[in-house]
Amino acid sequence: MFGKKSRKQPKDPLVRKLMDIVGENEVLYLKEDLVAYECDGFTMSKGMPRAVAFVHNAEEVSQIVKLLNREKVPYIARGAGTGLSGGATPLGGEVIISMVRMKRLLHVDLENRKAVVEPGFVNLKLTQSISDRGYYYAPDPSSQYACTIGGNVAENAGGAHCLKYGVTTNHILGLEVVLPNGEIVEIGEEGIPDRPGYDLIGLLTGSEGTLGIITKITCKVLKNPQGKKTVLAYFDEINDASQAVSDIISAGIIPAALEMMDQTAIHGVESGAHPVGHPRDIAAFLLIEVDGIEAGIDDQMNEIVEVCKKNHVREVKVAQSEAERELWWANRKTGFSAMGAISPDYLVQDGVIPRTRLPEVLTKIGEISKKYNLRIANIFHAGDGNLHPLVLYDARVPGEAERAAKAGSECLKVCADAGGSITGEHGVGIEKKEEMRFIFTDEEIEAQTNIRAVFNPEDLLNPGKLFPEPGRCVEVKRAKAQ
Amino acid sequence: MMSVDEKKMSAQTEQGMPATLGNFKWNDLPDENKWADCVHCGMCLEACPTYQETGEEHQSPRGRVYLIKAVAEGKIDVNEAFSKPIFDGLDCRACETACPASVQVGGLIEEARGQIRQAMPLKGISGAVSKTVLKGFFPHPSRMHKLGGLMKLYQKSGIQKLARKTGLLNILPTHLKDMEAILPEVGKPVLGRYPEVVPAEGERKGRVALLTGCVMDVMFSDVNEATIRVLTHNGYDVHLPKNQRCCGALHIHAGDRETGKALAKQNIEAFKEFDKVLVNAAGCGAALQEYDELFRNDPEMLPLAKAFSEKVEDISKFLYENGFKRPKVEVKTRITYHDACHLAHAQGVRFEPRQLLKEIPGVELVELPDADRCCGSAGIYNLTHPDMAGRLLERKIDDIPENVEMITMGNPGCMLQIAMGVKKYGRSEKVVHTVQLLDWAYEKEKKEAENLVNT
Ligand SMILES: Cc1cc2nc3c(=O)[nH]c(=O)nc-3n(C[C@H](O)[C@H](O)[C@H](O)COP(=O)(O)OP(=O)(O)OC[C@H]3O[C@@H](n4cnc5c(N)ncnc54)[C@H](O)[C@@H]3O)c2cc1C
Ligand code: SF4
Ligand code: SF4
Repeated sequence: MFGKKSRKQPKDPLVRKLMDIVGENEVLYLKEDLVAYECDGFTMSKGMPRAVAFVHNAEEVSQIVKLLNREKVPYIARGAGTGLSGGATPLGGEVIISMVRMKRLLHVDLENRKAVVEPGFVNLKLTQSISDRGYYYAPDPSSQYACTIGGNVAENAGGAHCLKYGVTTNHILGLEVVLPNGEIVEIGEEGIPDRPGYDLIGLLTGSEGTLGIITKITCKVLKNPQGKKTVLAYFDEINDASQAVSDIISAGIIPAALEMMDQTAIHGVESGAHPVGHPRDIAAFLLIEVDGIEAGIDDQMNEIVEVCKKNHVREVKVAQSEAERELWWANRKTGFSAMGAISPDYLVQDGVIPRTRLPEVLTKIGEISKKYNLRIANIFHAGDGNLHPLVLYDARVPGEAERAAKAGSECLKVCADAGGSITGEHGVGIEKKEEMRFIFTDEEIEAQTNIRAVFNPEDLLNPGKLFPEPGRCVEVKRAKAQ
Repeated sequence: MMSVDEKKMSAQTEQGMPATLGNFKWNDLPDENKWADCVHCGMCLEACPTYQETGEEHQSPRGRVYLIKAVAEGKIDVNEAFSKPIFDGLDCRACETACPASVQVGGLIEEARGQIRQAMPLKGISGAVSKTVLKGFFPHPSRMHKLGGLMKLYQKSGIQKLARKTGLLNILPTHLKDMEAILPEVGKPVLGRYPEVVPAEGERKGRVALLTGCVMDVMFSDVNEATIRVLTHNGYDVHLPKNQRCCGALHIHAGDRETGKALAKQNIEAFKEFDKVLVNAAGCGAALQEYDELFRNDPEMLPLAKAFSEKVEDISKFLYENGFKRPKVEVKTRITYHDACHLAHAQGVRFEPRQLLKEIPGVELVELPDADRCCGSAGIYNLTHPDMAGRLLERKIDDIPENVEMITMGNPGCMLQIAMGVKKYGRSEKVVHTVQLLDWAYEKEKKEAENLVNT
């Protein structure tokens, strides 16, 4: 893209064939360029791709897929690479099909409340493109400044406001997909949800790029709520904060968002780029937002404030301006990355637990932190029980990354044992393959890999992800083939 | 639990002063702590103009940081392929605003460029541009001024004469003709022409020193004149130390850290007796504020550089924070404001210039969408990367709201670039510096007062 001069001719014949399909400047093959694609937002596993090809339409994707099938070369679709479980990370030798140049907003139909986008379109841009007309796209992962809607569909991404509005799968009306045999298919019909027959959109959404490559997405857009109020509540005891969460939900209020952060996490965000001035000595805060028709909002807000008071809140305040509200959210949404300011590396975990078990789970996570002598910060979509323990470590210290991985895995075990799950929204990827065994039996896993085999019989599309391998022989063979 | 500072300190003592860092083997090693802060989250991707345009990971802040780390880990070498994405960056610092972990991506890239330039001295056309322009002109005020004179000649007599006089034309790509078409009517540089102290008008509030800058003083001496008038009108003695030099920003961007340091030392010396050093060129201001960064591996210079950097302030921020005199007359105009990267991203100055403009009676400020996206000027980027610079310029011009008369900003590089865009795309907006608008208001006020006396 920056001009062709001084590029050596690629030696790899496969690269030349890729170039024939997408164009000379649309394929990366130099080691120095490829190294940047060694991993995604999960940095504990790395692998070098064989090449990166940038696609512009479904037809090109189809041709590449057919080529790679003939050549028996594995491949991965990649969006922005913000995934947190290694979904877009090569094991070694895959061709990465980068979707980021397919980034057009194709069509907006506000009357029917839908928009059609290419997969590389960035999440936040959808809301930005329609907000002046009073609409927005609800799923709001904290990475929405950068992640792609294609990646969101693949991971079934959630976000702070998914408590009330649902995760990505609740907002997808139709998909165009290139199947691993190269066929281009449309599933769902623009604007008609819930067609009879199997829910293929549901199957594809959250399949972590193992069933097909998404090339077009029809999503729902919503009308902006009439009103919105945001509250920040500081607690001296974690238990009080968790009890407040339970009480709010039992009172029948469904906030648009209900988020919690513990003390270590608060230290992180206060050292990051958007400090709010949270007291450093509180045990936790809750960030609560209610929205809807103007009339009911104040009542809901008052009720929430009362619940917090009943649970010994130290201080509770309502955002006084849009600027204040935005700052609180920027502070929360940049929470993971802000940990970079207090630790060189972090491993973010993604457990789900029944809300009522939070105090007990946090105690156990505290014990894990002591056992491994690593700090663990907790950021929590408290409303829907999606807990993100962030294990802080320094990869430069020998052995620390391994310890962090173990601590992370134990956190997930605690969640699974509490009756929860090992991932709420970040996916299994490479990272949590083994932990799938915490919640599924071998038979259950096989049933799922059988479904994968229907779409992806040779397992060339994003191999080695999502499910634990029954034996390691497949991977070993692949490594030798390089 | 370690605080951020503790963490940095301990890492530094561990690091000591090694001679090499993986495949970084040259003097003035890059700072390991800068990439240690990066958690590879990608929140910076969409802020980066080169990623927006290409979608290539190695053309993103995260990718650049990762490549630099990969060299330090011995995974890749310092070679052409590594150098390309590192030098394709604009040094616009948009990533630093976006990064939640406050990674100093810009500084790290500059350090890596320093390694590359020592490993692979420049050849070819950009080498020639770099040598002629950076080494041959910028460090020498007299030559810069002569260049200014030549520009004038050039404006009067067309392309051939300049070519013959300097040989410069042979190495300048054709797109420079676009630039040539908009070069401002070159005035006379302020430095040397004005006395070393220009006294305050009326009641004296204090004294400040002004960096006159090289591009600014040659191409936009009228902006410097306006700056001096505005400051004296506000009650400041303005000092123009004669021994001041080019700030070195362009050299540092280009990886020539040694020339950068030599210039920095001269400036630290030149401004040593002043408490306040004001700058009206954002790029220069950012560079001066980062002299401490430049000398991070030089324990002797570091404290001096730190003390100096703290004295440096942008003119609009200084005026706004020190209660500039509100003009009493109306300047009826609709304007928009472009955030120079090195003002908004590097210095965090966004509010003050806007507010200053809005407080001039009669000025209506219409916000420019994506005002803080780079216009493509980026020092001499528009010379070394005309294609990318051109694409960014086109987007900038597209964004300019209809019906504004002027585009204001705080950096001469952007002024040249955007003026070029205005011309190229057949627009009619006037490109002005923030202080110029304030100066016009004051001048109008003075005229009206005179008229009143005379009638
Ligand atoms: C700071 C930070 C905060 C985050 N916060 C949240 C959060 O609040 N909620 C949440 O759910 N996630 C969150 N994430 C995780 C991540 O952003 C999401 O998983 C996101 O959906 C990934 O999108 P992407 O474009 O980066 O995809 P990538 O990382 O590039 O890919 C993710 C997976 O999707 C597949 N894929 C990508 N594009 C396609 C396609 N077109 N067709 C088929 N498969 C495809 C890839 O193969 C891979 O398996 C966060 C990440 C970070 C770094
Ligand atoms: S530079 Fe900052 S925003 Fe970019 S990947 Fe690193 S930590 Fe994240
Ligand atoms: S300085 Fe600008 S061009 Fe360079 S990495 Fe940062 S955002 Fe991208």
